[in-house]
Amino acid sequence: MGFVVTTLIFAVVGVIASLLVRICCSRGPSTNLLHLTLVVTAVVCCWMMWAIVYLAQMKPLIVPILSEGE
Amino acid sequence: MGDGGGYTTMDLLRSEPMQLAQLIIPIESAHCTVSYLGDLGLFQFKDLNAEKSPFQRTYAGQIKRCGEMARKLRFFREQMVKAGLLPSARSTINSNIDLDDLEVKLGELEAELLEINANNERLQRAYTELLEYKLVLQKAGEFFYSAQSIAAAQQKEFEVQQTGEGSIDSPLLLEQEMVTDPSKQVKLGFVSGLVPREKSMAFERIMFRATRGNVFLKQALVDDPVVDPVSGEKVEKNVFVIFFSGERAKIKILKICDAFGANRYPFTDDLGKQYQMITEVSGRLSELKTTIDAGLLHRSNLLRTIGYEYEQWNILVKKEKSIYTTLNMLSFDVTKKCLVAEGWCPVFASNQIQNALQQASFDSNSQVGAIFQVLQAKESPPTYFRTNKFTSAFQEIVDAYGVAKYQEANPGVYTIVTFPFLFAVMFGDWGHGICLLLATLYFILREKKFSSQKLGDIIEMTFGGRYVILMMAIFSIYTGLIYNEFFSVPFELFGPSAYGCRDHSCGDVTTMGLIKVHDTYPFGVDPTWHGTRSELPFLNSLKMKMSILLGVVQMNLGIILSYFNAKFFNDNLNIWYQFVPQMIFLNSLFGYLSLLIIVKWCTGSQADLYHVMIYMFLSPTDDLGENQLFSGQKFLQILLLFSALVAVPWMLFPKPFLLKKQYEERHQGQLYAMLHSTDDPLEEQLQHDSHGHEEFEFSEFFVHQLIHTIEFVLGAVSNTASYLRLWALSLAHSELSSVFYDKVLLLAWGYNNVIILVIGIIVFVFATIGVLLVMETLSAFLHALRLHWVEFQSKFYEGNGYKFSPFSFALVSEEDE
Repeated sequence: MGFVVTTLIFAVVGVIASLLVRICCSRGPSTNLLHLTLVVTAVVCCWMMWAIVYLAQMKPLIVPILSEGE
Repeated sequence: MGDGGGYTTMDLLRSEPMQLAQLIIPIESAHCTVSYLGDLGLFQFKDLNAEKSPFQRTYAGQIKRCGEMARKLRFFREQMVKAGLLPSARSTINSNIDLDDLEVKLGELEAELLEINANNERLQRAYTELLEYKLVLQKAGEFFYSAQSIAAAQQKEFEVQQTGEGSIDSPLLLEQEMVTDPSKQVKLGFVSGLVPREKSMAFERIMFRATRGNVFLKQALVDDPVVDPVSGEKVEKNVFVIFFSGERAKIKILKICDAFGANRYPFTDDLGKQYQMITEVSGRLSELKTTIDAGLLHRSNLLRTIGYEYEQWNILVKKEKSIYTTLNMLSFDVTKKCLVAEGWCPVFASNQIQNALQQASFDSNSQVGAIFQVLQAKESPPTYFRTNKFTSAFQEIVDAYGVAKYQEANPGVYTIVTFPFLFAVMFGDWGHGICLLLATLYFILREKKFSSQKLGDIIEMTFGGRYVILMMAIFSIYTGLIYNEFFSVPFELFGPSAYGCRDHSCGDVTTMGLIKVHDTYPFGVDPTWHGTRSELPFLNSLKMKMSILLGVVQMNLGIILSYFNAKFFNDNLNIWYQFVPQMIFLNSLFGYLSLLIIVKWCTGSQADLYHVMIYMFLSPTDDLGENQLFSGQKFLQILLLFSALVAVPWMLFPKPFLLKKQYEERHQGQLYAMLHSTDDPLEEQLQHDSHGHEEFEFSEFFVHQLIHTIEFVLGAVSNTASYLRLWALSLAHSELSSVFYDKVLLLAWGYNNVIILVIGIIVFVFATIGVLLVMETLSAFLHALRLHWVEFQSKFYEGNGYKFSPFSFALVSEEDE
């Protein structure tokens, strides 16, 4: 799974989550907007965290060197 | 009001639109109206009699009455607690009691209770005194009995001696008479009683000294503690009998007895009388006992009947007191027939308030209804967010820093997600996350039970923040999966590791290391890293860069929110001379750094980013050499450096000058057209706020802007560095948990001994709970708090508003006495 595919998965999860929140607890436009903002912020945060860790391991400058004991 | 017409406003982003309203209430329905408004709880009364002292106000008398009733209720409560009866939880019997009836009733009950108490106390005192007396009779009786028998024996001996020696050495007649004639003997007096045991030694010594040894004091221990009649407490005591001679000695002794709190009781040396007294005392004791029991029963019955209705009365009295306190804030109409109230209420509540007013005037049979009208406000309205049980804890985090200015963008919206997220970046371990989740789920599932009872300080705080902890736990599980740590142990959950041996022999894995043979590990940190020699350099580099990236994104979000604020308040100056240069400055330095980090990761370049950033300032025109990451980098750097340098004066100079110009234009306009008034109260208020009627102080504005600019420029650097705490705390957390796992659990496992293993597990569990789950949670919480308060909110949040505090019975009854 490459970077783009997983990013797409995050996007899909984000869309599904927003839809679920919209359907399950729809309480007027202003509250829905709040819910949407929260879901989008959460998904963006999670995606960013994943993307940073993924990118850092793509072209490793340091490689794992096993300890002597093993 | 406001500028939110074009698009749907978001809940919680802006505080509720408020209005200043005036209520004109006929005097006969005032009480009822205020009571209904208290039930509604959406109207904040302004004190219109601020200049009057509490005693000068209209309803001071009623408040005093309520205070008196509250005092009586407190007295009942004390009595109930003393008697071990607790007032029953909210009784549902809803008899509509009048305040006046209640006052009479409370007075009667108090008098009755006081009388019963006084009687009981008297009886109790008599009872304990009799008990002590009985003890004295018993113990002192023993002295006398034994003393008499000894004396009789001596007497006999003496007589024998006398008859033997009388012939040789007979004393003079006078002397002989003195010895033998009992009527001429010195009359010895005695005092008997009880003295507290701890004082008995000192008592004896003082007695001895005061009378120069001319007393005989005998003490006997009383085995069981005795109830002291004066204090009513159980004290260990000694029975004493003092023999003395002479009236002066007696006076001294009595004084010393009083000083030592020794209770004296009359006593006779006649055995027959003693016996009679003991039976008499015992008879009286049993009589008193039945009387006291009957009294106590009566008292507890009375207290129980009070207990049934105590809560109801208590709430009623509190409500009435709050109603009269509120009525005192109202001022009289000129006709003295109406009360005038002013206060803030949310715009959405207008209808509810009007309904309450109508209902009140109907219920109090008032001839005229109350009038509700909206006034134009000069000062800034209070800030009111409609939060629910989930969002309120997050809003409190923001409010603890400062209450939002009226209608400014509320950081609470993003805090709901970013706060737990940044916490989790520092607390990434999905094992610990699950523990936290279970703990908070316990609170959430038993929410109803917990919210109804009183909790200790720490539990109360945890319970209040249960939804914050829930979010923190969920994000911790996520970041734990990313860090691939479960109590510091990695799992290959998402496919095989990307690393493998260089060749079949796998000989150089401890010197040259593994190489990447598969695709990158798809989700999170590769499990192979755990325990390798290069783990720390890799994780440090990763987490440090991650902190910078997350920090730059959050600071950008803060600056973008300042744009929405400026747009909302129609403040173009802030958009063009604050938001734009700030964006340019931050992103041309740290945005560029973030870009470099990502490019370096994507290309796998060996470039030294420190070097690049430092020489971007020192010698921007130099060739980058091997540190070049992409073509045209040198040109881009010069451009960015130039724009950052331009952004600083851009922030500093134009705004004060433009403000001055605006002021002058408006001032001229006012000269020509005094009648001109803006329809928009907010705009008028803005003018009022920023200029007032005073002279425009250019230097003040300039200095303010100078400070603001310096703060931002220096802050951009220091705030970015401050985000490195994410790296530091996350490193500390993972290192600590791996130490506990390796050095405690694995070490204990290695001994192959059940006892050591059990001890190891216990130590591991306590270390994990105490250090990682409690202390680390606290420290990560505090650091996340700081990142939000300082680094994020300083970009846009003014936080100089004041909270909407409506008159509400729900809040009144929650207050503690």
